Amino acid sequence: MIRYSLFIALFVLFIAEGTVYQIFAPDFRGFDYLLLPRWVFVVIIFAGIYRGRAMATLYGIVFGVMYDVIFSSVLGVYTFAMGLIAYLLSITHPFLQRNLLVGIFTCFTAVVVLEYFVYGIMLLLGFTTIPHEEFFYIRFLPTVAMNVGFIAVIAYPLRKWFYYLRQKQEEQSKFNS
Amino acid sequence: MPSFFSNKRLIVLLVCIIILVALIGYSMSERRSLTWPEQFITDSVGWVQSAFSRPAHFVAGFFENLDDMRNLYEENKILKSHLDEYASLQVELNDLRRQNEELKDSLGVRDNLYDYTVRSALVIHRSPDRWNEFIGINKGAQDGIEENMAVMTSKGLIGKIHQVSQFTSTIQLLSDQARNNRISAFVDSDNKINGFIEGIDSETGYLHFTMIDIRAELEEGQLVVTSGLGGVFPDGLLIGEIISFETDEFGLSQTAYVKPTADFYNIDYVLVIESRAPTLSPEIDPDVEGEES
Repeated sequence: MIRYSLFIALFVLFIAEGTVYQIFAPDFRGFDYLLLPRWVFVVIIFAGIYRGRAMATLYGIVFGVMYDVIFSSVLGVYTFAMGLIAYLLSITHPFLQRNLLVGIFTCFTAVVVLEYFVYGIMLLLGFTTIPHEEFFYIRFLPTVAMNVGFIAVIAYPLRKWFYYLRQKQEEQSKFNS
Repeated sequence: MPSFFSNKRLIVLLVCIIILVALIGYSMSERRSLTWPEQFITDSVGWVQSAFSRPAHFVAGFFENLDDMRNLYEENKILKSHLDEYASLQVELNDLRRQNEELKDSLGVRDNLYDYTVRSALVIHRSPDRWNEFIGINKGAQDGIEENMAVMTSKGLIGKIHQVSQFTSTIQLLSDQARNNRISAFVDSDNKINGFIEGIDSETGYLHFTMIDIRAELEEGQLVVTSGLGGVFPDGLLIGEIISFETDEFGLSQTAYVKPTADFYNIDYVLVIESRAPTLSPEIDPDVEGEES
């Protein structure tokens, strides 16, 4: 159970993004800016710092596939972007693990790269024609602010949880040997 | 050069990019239906999504009800004034319906495009990145849903079925910006004025009603309904009301802006409309004859 707890948490976040959040989405209730949830993605990036590169890349690809198949009209965009960004940014250096702010900054970088990558692909394939200025002010800035705010709020409890998981796993491996 | 190829990571990255481009090309091809791995993922996730979406809709509905209660009195007054009108309309409708049936009987006309089956479905997801306007519902091929069926709410048409899985399906809303999102419609006036509903204006939220004959006389406030010329779509589903119109950039046709009657944002239940009218009777269908001979 403990082994799969992170996956279950990410899956619940995924459902929250696509189903629960969409029912209460602020842009449907007269809010002019788009706040797009990237919660699964930021948690994957944050987990990459504490739980290692292989796991982050795997989860990036798995949830990227789910994004692509369920929500997107083009396959492969999120799979590639989430997998690659998770691979590049999961640096398990103790310096990053000790400083929460650096971890939050890593998530900020990841969201910036993801938003621009997806915008670029959509522009290239002709799915959108919105100019860069509109993208930047209506979509990009509010989205980045919301997701960085999200990870900033849960960063501390999340780190505690990751340390707890590591401790549990070490105990288990000692017990088994 | 050898050092370049010995870099394993770079090769993996290049292979990934090739796969990405191949996948994009594959999914952009026209008329693609879902493959079984995709159906498996959407169905199994869709099952969990429907479990979550029911309580969420319930909570959202509760707050809306609280909001509604405040203007209950005003609404009641307006509805009462409508009620008198309704009685006289009902009498007229019955009369016309009876007359219509008699006339049809005398002509021997049986089927028409007004015959349709309605299935209701729960909305279970919506794409969180607003690059496309797709929503998911909890009914699929097992419930008799097919691609390109019309989808509406109680207020009017909202879109069509885009992709069908076994237990879930995806709806493409009228507001989606994809180039193939086009619906044949006409203006409900004395003489039919045909055109296409194509995409939405992101600033005003009005639908583009294009390819209207340059000589057609449009008026503001006229209603736009589906034409049923596409085959799968039934006739006469309400889309919206004309707000303004202009000659298009080449001066060959007119474009009107249509305010949709349906709300594309707060959708909880939708109705999937299946037209039961046959497109061609078997006796005159050239394809059937071709197979026999």
